[in-house]
Amino acid sequence: MKSWFRQHRFALGAALGHVGKAPGSFLFNVVVVAIALALPFAGLTLLENVRPMSEQLSVDPEISLFVNASATREQARALAPAVRTALKGHKAAILFVPREQALDTLKSKSGLSDVLATLGENPLPDSYVLKLDGFKSAADAAGIDAIAARLRALPGVDTVQVDSAWVKRLAALLGVLRLVLLLLALTLGMVVVAVVFNTIRLQVLTQREEIAVSKLIGATDGFIHRPFYYTGALLGLCAGAVALGAVTLALNPLNSAIAQFARLYASEFQLAPLAPLGIGALLALSAGLGLAGALLSVQRHLARLD
Amino acid sequence: MIEFHSVSKQYSPHAIALREVSFKVDKGELVYLAGPSGAGKSTLLKMIAAMERPSSGKVLVNGQDIGKLKAASVPFLRRNLGLIFQQQRLLIDRSVLANTMLPLLVSGASSAHAEQRARAALDKVGLLERAGAQPLELSGGEQQRVAIARAIVNRPQIILADEPTANLDRASANKVLDALRAFHSVGVTCMISTHDEQVLDGAARVIQLEHGQTVGGAA
Repeated sequence: MKSWFRQHRFALGAALGHVGKAPGSFLFNVVVVAIALALPFAGLTLLENVRPMSEQLSVDPEISLFVNASATREQARALAPAVRTALKGHKAAILFVPREQALDTLKSKSGLSDVLATLGENPLPDSYVLKLDGFKSAADAAGIDAIAARLRALPGVDTVQVDSAWVKRLAALLGVLRLVLLLLALTLGMVVVAVVFNTIRLQVLTQREEIAVSKLIGATDGFIHRPFYYTGALLGLCAGAVALGAVTLALNPLNSAIAQFARLYASEFQLAPLAPLGIGALLALSAGLGLAGALLSVQRHLARLD
Repeated sequence: MIEFHSVSKQYSPHAIALREVSFKVDKGELVYLAGPSGAGKSTLLKMIAAMERPSSGKVLVNGQDIGKLKAASVPFLRRNLGLIFQQQRLLIDRSVLANTMLPLLVSGASSAHAEQRARAALDKVGLLERAGAQPLELSGGEQQRVAIARAIVNRPQIILADEPTANLDRASANKVLDALRAFHSVGVTCMISTHDEQVLDGAARVIQLEHGQTVGGAA
């Protein structure tokens, strides 16, 4: 065990020694790999910030049906059977919201109670909220639109609003973004592997004599390969750290711009850096990509030297 | 310790390096391989170090059949050998001490232990005071003695030296040979190839090679 640690410490020392001999070249490679990693890291940071928003909001479609303001309470309540018929057998929880309750909700949630008090009388109509069941995917949007159209045709109905359609669209958009990000990450991951592959290839060529001598004095393949593996992993790790640092730094100016935009919607949405666990995972992934590039390069080029 | 049984090595139909070579070297022997360039001396030494495999016949080193040796076992065979080449093959970007320590580090020794042993080996070849120098700061003879120190630092059972004095003046060559003979005197088996007749003066056993065949000293 002691010998195993010693061998790895020696390999790490050798890898750092080679980096120290050509720091400019190593830094240049770190920058190239970091640029490739920064884009998927930024995309992931954005997705991780938007994801809770789409998850917190209900994605079960809701339809709000507003009765004519001139209709009496009895006329409004009498609409219930017709609303149920318009559903044509689709399951839904139908909730009647009296105008007084709607006003109370508006007062409590909007913070505009003082303004609403100056209106004198309640401007809101009676309404129905239909929570539809069995519409799980964005593809069901057409079915919801058909129900909304039938509801609009009912007598005494002023407005019909499909409340949660945008959440569905957001969820679908996030799905597409996730796929795009995955493809982007795969492509750029291959770029990282290729850059490390080439870096290690050059290093193997530079150290040809050292490798040959080591073999002659009894070095095992593991002893010869290990420093290159450490170099690859180190390159990936440093590039991952640089990419994450760049993304985190970019969040400051981005958040300034987002804050102005979000204020228009009474929101305080801000992009936050990834959680420590996420950062750790991305650093491990970066080091893993570097290691993969080194593994492929070493297998190919050292076999040729043999 | 080293046995060749009807060993031939053929690189191509027109390039035959060894033909039916047979001999045996006992433990603690000092054997010279003599012959002109192209006689097969280097090929023979390379076979002992498993750098080449025989096309036919059998090479046994410490009872291990080199022809059947697995690639993963070769490094462990070489740790029992001290290899010295005509071109010293020192790493020019490392100090004399670091070059000498390398075989021990390769074997998994600690840096402190490797340094201690490397200093002792450099002392034996008279170069301890040059431990911190770079190889290119040394003369050819001194570089060859560093190569000897590197070869013996692992306390090998066998030393194989391929034309170790070829590029050296007589005084330097004598120092190199004296160092090798000193290791033989403490029981290390040595095989030294040379085409220098003066090196063979007083040699107890010389295996003479010509055109890949033994013409003397094999028995």
